Amino acid sequence: MALEGRLVVLREERKEDQKLFTELRNDLETQGWNTALPPTYTESMYLKRFDAMEFSYERDSARFSVDRKESGELAGYITYSDLEERLGATIGIAIAKPFWGTGVAFDAQEVLLRFLFLELGLRVVHLWSHSGNARALGLAEKAGFLITGRVREGMYKNGKLLDTIVMSVLREEYFGFHPELEDLLPDPIDPTAATR
Amino acid sequence: MSVARFGTEHFALRPLEASDVEALQAYLNEPEMIGRRYTPWGIRDIAPLSRKQVEGILEKWSSEKKGFTLGIELRETGELVGHAECNWHWDVHCPGIGIAVSPQHQREGIASEAVRLLLGHLFEDTPAHNVSGWVMSWNEAGLAFAKALGFTESGRVPRSGIREGAYCEAVMVDLLKPEWLAAKGESNGA
Repeated sequence: MALEGRLVVLREERKEDQKLFTELRNDLETQGWNTALPPTYTESMYLKRFDAMEFSYERDSARFSVDRKESGELAGYITYSDLEERLGATIGIAIAKPFWGTGVAFDAQEVLLRFLFLELGLRVVHLWSHSGNARALGLAEKAGFLITGRVREGMYKNGKLLDTIVMSVLREEYFGFHPELEDLLPDPIDPTAATR
Repeated sequence: MSVARFGTEHFALRPLEASDVEALQAYLNEPEMIGRRYTPWGIRDIAPLSRKQVEGILEKWSSEKKGFTLGIELRETGELVGHAECNWHWDVHCPGIGIAVSPQHQREGIASEAVRLLLGHLFEDTPAHNVSGWVMSWNEAGLAFAKALGFTESGRVPRSGIREGAYCEAVMVDLLKPEWLAAKGESNGA
């Protein structure tokens, strides 16, 4: 079964994807880093990174290429990292500008959340962004994420001091957003237990 | 840089050596330390640590390129009673800090003085603008300690762990340089 949504398919990355990934890294708006990286990455560097990936059953992160279903075009990538099995993970997304405003990013995020909650059985998913990235914050809010933390003035980008922002969505909040889904995984914690 | 930056009359903040493994293992394995050991990312902070695991922690600390961890050694006895860490994995603009002191030497002012030394170093010897840290939500004394040093609670990241039958949060705390300067001015009578 493919990781497929209304608009996109998430799949393993391939050699031919590295050209777009290099372009995304070299654009200050899409490079997805808390401090600016020099826009001088090369496709050759990315191909070396790609070739260095090794097989493992013990994965605490993954990167998916995002294909637009209609045209088969590569639109960008979406990741999860810092996986704590059956507990939590952090997601990140980078979509090429021609696909902004098309619903591709939201659909990719929904497909990944479905994988993380329904296949990996996570209790929470987090993401990191910043106060200057209204597009990313809005995308996350639309999927049920709420702001749970910040580092005040923790970033300097485009000449501005910005807050680093953490957002989180709990498993029950995700299922609340998706009444068509039923959560059959028992919670390891008594739901009446207060947070310690 | 002044050597006094890394010590007081009471203790020295000094590099950790391979020979510290036993003392380090002893205080890290105190039951009270579990969940607040401030050991490197990726080392599970939930159970007693073997000597080999502690050697691995020392190895990770010694190979750190964007930060450092120093041992806290009492001048009078030479005893290793804790460690103090700062790192700038993201950006020197916003480094993180962590502190761990053995239960036998808590409430002696050691942790407060060690954090003040690290803050002095980060705000006066580096480009730091915001210094942040985290405390698990069950560690109320740790959170009160951070706030007493001027840190502001800036978030609670849910389900950052499970402890005694409940989820716990990672409480984020941070301190901006202007806040630190203002507090320092007040404490100097300015």
